[in-house]
Amino acid sequence: MEFIVNKADLARELNLAQGVVEKKTTILILSNVLLEAADGQLTVTATDLELGVRCTCPARVVRPGSGTLPAKRFLDYVRLLPDAEVTVKVQENHWANITCGRSKTRLAGMSRESYPELPDMPEALAAIPASLLGGLIARTIFAIAMEETRFTINGSLLVLKPDSVTMVSTDGHRLAMVEAPAELPGVVGLYKALVPKKAMLELVKMISESGPEAKIEFSGDDNHLFFRLGDRVLTGRKLSGNFPDYERVLPKDHQYTLTLNREELRGSIDRVAQFADERSKSIRVGIEDNELRLFSSLSDMGESEEVISVEYTGAPVDIGFNAAYLSDFLRAVGGTEIEFHFRNGESAGELRPQGGEGLNYRYVVMPMRI
Amino acid sequence: MKTVFHVDMDAFFVSVEEQFNPELKGKPVVVGGRPDQRGVVSAASYAARKFGVHSAMPLRTAAKLCPEAIFVPGHPERYREYSGRVFEVLSRFSPLVEMASIDEAYMDMTGTRRLLGPPLAAARKLHDAVGEATGLNCSIGISATRLVAKVASDQAKPNGMLYVLPGLEAQFLAPLAIRRIPGIGKATEANLMNLGIRTAGDLARLDDAFLGQHFGQWGVILAAKARGQDAGGWYDEEIGADTGPKSISHEVTFSQDTADRALIESTLARLAEMVGRRLREHRLYTRTVQIKLRDNTFHTITRAVTLGRPTQLDIELIAESRRLFREHWPESRLTRLVGVQAGALTAGEGQLSLLEAPEERRWRTALGAVDRIRDRFGESSLKLAGGMRGTFEERVHENPAGLPGKKK
Repeated sequence: MEFIVNKADLARELNLAQGVVEKKTTILILSNVLLEAADGQLTVTATDLELGVRCTCPARVVRPGSGTLPAKRFLDYVRLLPDAEVTVKVQENHWANITCGRSKTRLAGMSRESYPELPDMPEALAAIPASLLGGLIARTIFAIAMEETRFTINGSLLVLKPDSVTMVSTDGHRLAMVEAPAELPGVVGLYKALVPKKAMLELVKMISESGPEAKIEFSGDDNHLFFRLGDRVLTGRKLSGNFPDYERVLPKDHQYTLTLNREELRGSIDRVAQFADERSKSIRVGIEDNELRLFSSLSDMGESEEVISVEYTGAPVDIGFNAAYLSDFLRAVGGTEIEFHFRNGESAGELRPQGGEGLNYRYVVMPMRI
Repeated sequence: MKTVFHVDMDAFFVSVEEQFNPELKGKPVVVGGRPDQRGVVSAASYAARKFGVHSAMPLRTAAKLCPEAIFVPGHPERYREYSGRVFEVLSRFSPLVEMASIDEAYMDMTGTRRLLGPPLAAARKLHDAVGEATGLNCSIGISATRLVAKVASDQAKPNGMLYVLPGLEAQFLAPLAIRRIPGIGKATEANLMNLGIRTAGDLARLDDAFLGQHFGQWGVILAAKARGQDAGGWYDEEIGADTGPKSISHEVTFSQDTADRALIESTLARLAEMVGRRLREHRLYTRTVQIKLRDNTFHTITRAVTLGRPTQLDIELIAESRRLFREHWPESRLTRLVGVQAGALTAGEGQLSLLEAPEERRWRTALGAVDRIRDRFGESSLKLAGGMRGTFEERVHENPAGLPGKKK
């Protein structure tokens, strides 16, 4: 195989592939990228068996063929090359000669024989605006569980309906749900899939490089999910397991509601959180007599308090919260005002953007017992 | 200058048994099980000790040494109850009481002179009050340090009191064999013997440099101990400085080594249930579950898991210990001992859960009710079905149960 490709194109595609390549794999071939040159283009493939990415860029194919090269070393080297044409020639013995101007490098590759095949993408089920999907991910990804437990999974639930897209994440302590209107005529009834967190991170990367009008074509087979954006296809293994019944968790009604300025609340929480226990990050939220009071103390370090004026004349309420859970939401949400719904120190609290930013965005947080 | 009491119950387990069966009094009695049973002696009466029977000796050996001894099974619940009564009495004499085990305690009596009189008079009152509340005898050692108080109570046994006057600590210890000093075990004793050091006096005479050369940091601690100072590990701390347990554990040796997985899992479940019960008793939550497994060749492993959030529910402890067992213990391995430990204890459960709330709440309520039933009708009145096959006779051990104790 031999092809000539623009350095910037090659570096960009390799960089995307690098996100998928497992850093600490025991299967040697998985630390390589698969290169295939044919029909005027170069296809770069990377996979960790859970997630795969396939992307293409234009190339002058001198001799069609394929081969694999160590992903990280190849990328690190290509990045350092000047902005010029790069010639890559993979020989029978799997060694690659990389030439760019007066730079010449030989890099040991491996046969493509043992490289896993990625499944082919079936016909697209829906075309979702890329920026919309990116927005849904940004509003929910932070609430994904760090590890899988009896109750949670390391990914988000994607729900497609003919007229909406919904994404839900939870770690068992809090739940983020966002629903956006969308026209998805290809969806019949209801389509649900569990998207791994790693796939979501790669999607965010792909979306950030796309234009405002770009659409992501989505489809799924029995075991995989496929996202196509332009010349790139991301393939993820569907997570197995059951996503918790999130509709049961969403509170039906709330006793009290406050309206707060997002930036003001976020600043106050961040300051008070400096004096919260490092592990539990617990702060107290007291609401009484038209005031919301945030308080934290560390026995030997100090304490901190913030008072925000609110409209509230109900019974005094004292709730403990993990400060990080609150600020995660305040960072992800847009708009200037948010609504805080609550009942007491034992029940779930809920945060929502006021007016909803055109989305149905709900964030439910359980308190801490303090 | 501090005034420290070390209160040590005389032949505690045996004496408690005598309260329930006065005929045992004065006779050679061995607590721990039947003479033909696998297991060790938990305690022996003074009459049995004359025959060379001592605790931690195999029951069968005890039966050989003293064939006429009366063997009685241990009753952990009785001992816990009596230990509790002793603690109650001690607490009336000082707010600083630390149960070092089920039958001994350190008390900081500094500053009680105006209230209770000089140390020996106070000790007399204490001794009688314990006797009145429990019918049991105890021995009391008094000194300015915990270490000397402990040695003194040992020297005063049985049913005696010994006050080592301040300044005379080193003189008091000097003639005693080095093994009498708390913290000096078999290994250190052997090493010291090799150097020709036999008594505490020999040890105290050596200079720190020599000991440092032979024993490093431990040598300096040894020298301090020989002079009667509180040094080394737990002795560095104040009485009652930390009264919360660091971990809660239960373990059991099978009467016969077994490869029966179902039996082992059931036993683990039973142990986990007992740990859960004690967590709730102490109002503690655990973040780590550890299991301990020993095979017939005495090869022992411990495996632990950190939970996503603190718990005190039996079902979670059971699920985790079973998972650890299945992951780490090979099929058909002959198993001798299993244990379950809850570590990383915290006082609160912290973050509440959004998802399993109803199930968890039901378990919490149910186990709370179970605990109340056990309080009234005894530990064996109600058990989880999963642990039924694993039911065993609870061994008598010296860990304080339900009382502020020493950390492990």
